[in-house]
Amino acid sequence: MSTKETDAPGFKVPAPRQLAVRRDLGRVLQRLLRIGSAVTAVVPLGALIAMLVILLFEALPAIRFNGWHFLSGTSWSSGSFYSPPVRSGGVLHPLGASYGAWPLILGTLETSAIAVVVGFPVAFAAAVFIVEKLPRALSGVVGVVLEVLAGIPSVVIGLWGLFTFGPFLARNLYPLLGHLPDVPPLAIFHGNHGYGEGLLSAGLVLAAMIIPIVAATTRDLLRQVPEGTREGAEALGMTSSEVFFAVQVRWIRSGVIGALILGLGRALGETIAVALVSGSAMQIAPNIYSGMTTIAAAIVTLLDSAQSDPTGLETRALAEAALVLMAITLLVNIAARALVRRSARGAALPVGVGL
Amino acid sequence: MAVDDLSLGFGELTVMRHITVEVPRGSITALVGPSGSGKTTFLRSLNRMNDKVRGFWHQGSVRLDGRDIYGRDVDPLVLRRRVGMVFQRPNPFPMSIEDNVVAGVKAHRMVPRRQLRDVAETHLAQVGLWSAVSDRLHDSPFRLSGGQQQLLCLARALAVEPEVLLLDEPTSSLDPRSTEAVEELVRSVANGLTVIIVTHNLAQARRLSDYTMFFYEGRLVETGPTSQLFEHPSRPETARYLHGETAITSR
Repeated sequence: MSTKETDAPGFKVPAPRQLAVRRDLGRVLQRLLRIGSAVTAVVPLGALIAMLVILLFEALPAIRFNGWHFLSGTSWSSGSFYSPPVRSGGVLHPLGASYGAWPLILGTLETSAIAVVVGFPVAFAAAVFIVEKLPRALSGVVGVVLEVLAGIPSVVIGLWGLFTFGPFLARNLYPLLGHLPDVPPLAIFHGNHGYGEGLLSAGLVLAAMIIPIVAATTRDLLRQVPEGTREGAEALGMTSSEVFFAVQVRWIRSGVIGALILGLGRALGETIAVALVSGSAMQIAPNIYSGMTTIAAAIVTLLDSAQSDPTGLETRALAEAALVLMAITLLVNIAARALVRRSARGAALPVGVGL
Repeated sequence: MAVDDLSLGFGELTVMRHITVEVPRGSITALVGPSGSGKTTFLRSLNRMNDKVRGFWHQGSVRLDGRDIYGRDVDPLVLRRRVGMVFQRPNPFPMSIEDNVVAGVKAHRMVPRRQLRDVAETHLAQVGLWSAVSDRLHDSPFRLSGGQQQLLCLARALAVEPEVLLLDEPTSSLDPRSTEAVEELVRSVANGLTVIIVTHNLAQARRLSDYTMFFYEGRLVETGPTSQLFEHPSRPETARYLHGETAITSR
C-alpha cells in the first residue's frame, strides 16, 4: 500500500489504545444488555406468578369454606354482620354467609360472548371498509377517530351506556328484537326488555369498547398485505372477493385472532363500565335483557360492604372470585394461542407468529 | 397476440407511444431496454393488470385471437385465465403449497374437487418441484427457497392452462441455479404456449427467446428475431444499448 493511500481520510488506522477502549466498552455494553434483557424477560412471568400466589393465599380461607360450591352455587349472601360469627370447618364466618359465584362466572362469559359476537363482525367490516373503500385521506381521519375511541376511559363509556346508549337500546332496538320469530335461537330475544340495564346492554357496551381495538389492529394488518401477493391472485383471474379470501384474510388471520383475544381479554376483565350498565343483580339473567353482573363488576360493587364483614371472609371470597377470573383469562389466552398456531399451520403467516 | 398502435399512460403521463407488434403463437419473446423504458407497463397491459391503477388510459388495441382484449365484451377475469402472469418477486399465497398450485384452478372451477390433488402433482412435477415438496404439500410455501417459491408461482400460473404467459423479470431475484431452472422450464413449456418475458439480462434474452423487442423511452425501437437483433441491430439506439451492456458485463 502506498503512503498516499494511508493518508487518505478513509484509511486512517486508529491507535491501538483507542481500539482496545472501544472493544472493552463494546464488551461491557453487551453484557449489560444481556443482563438487562434477562431481567426484563423474567419480570412479567414473575409478576404473574406472584399475583397468582398472593391471590391464592388471600383466598385460601374462602376456598376452604366454599369448596366446589363456589363454582356451582347460585346465591351470594354476605350473612349477618350483626349476629356473632360462627365457625364451620375451622373457618370463622358471618351467620348465614354463603358464596356462590356461578351467576358471576356465567355473566362474565355471557357478556364477553355478546361483545365478541356483535363486536367482531362490525370491527372487521369497518377495517375492510376503511382500507379497501375509503379514499386515502378520509381513511386517515377515520383511523385517528378509531384510535381516539380506543383510548376513551371505561368509566366514560360506562356512563354513556347507563344514561344514553342503554335507554336508547331499550326504547328503539329491544322492542324490535321482541318481534323476532319465537324459534331457537331467536327466542332468547323474547321477554320483558326492561330499561336498558342488563345483560344485552352490558354486552353491547363491551362490544363498543372492543370494536375500536379490533378494527384498528385489523386495519393495520390489512395494510401490511403485500401488493404483490394480491396482484398474483388477480393475475390468476380471481374476482376481488376471491382475492380477498384467498390472500388478505389468510394473510391477516392469525393477527386478527390475536387482536380478538386482546379485545376478549378486555371484555372479560372490564369492570366499571359493566358495573354501571349491567344492573348489578347477583343473579343468572332470566332473559337477555335482565339485570346481572360479572366477576369484575361484582368485585367492585361488593368490595365496600364486604370490608365491613367482621370475619373478613367476604373479601376473601372476592379474592377467590378474582382468582377464577384470572383462571378464565389465562385459559382463554392459552386456547387462543393454540388456535393461532393451528390456523397458521400449512401457511405460516408473517404476522403474529414466526415462520 | 397482436398489438396495434398502442399508446398508454397514467393521467397526463404517456408511458408508451404507438406500439405496433405481433407476437407469434408458441414463441418466446423477450422485452429488453433500460429501466424506465416502459417494458413492465407494456407487459401488464397485455392482461389488463393496469386497469386498476389510477389514471390508466390506453389507445389502440391489443388483440388475442383477433379480439380486442379491451373490448366491452371481454371479462378481465376470463382474459387473465388465458393470459397468465408471473412477477418479479415470488408471491406465493399464504396457504399450503398444494393450495397455492390449485388456487386458480379452484377459483375457475376447472376440475372437480377430488382431482385437485392430481392437478397439483402434475404441475409441481412440470416445474420440477414435485420431488422436493411431495412430502410437505400441506406446509407453508414461505419455507421454500426463493427459487422454489418462484417455481411454485410458475406452477400456479401454468395450472390454469393459459395460452399466453407473461413473465416480468422472473429471475431477477434468484440465484444463478434457480435462474437456470426457471429458464429451462420456460423453454420446455413454450411448446404451444406463447411466452413474453421482460428481462434486464441480455444474455438471458439471447439464450431464451425467439424474438426480441427493444424498448427505449416509451417507444418500441426495434423488434425482430433475437439472433438478428443481437448480431445486426438496425437502429443505432439498439446497438448502443447492446454494446453498453456487453461492455459492462465483460469487465
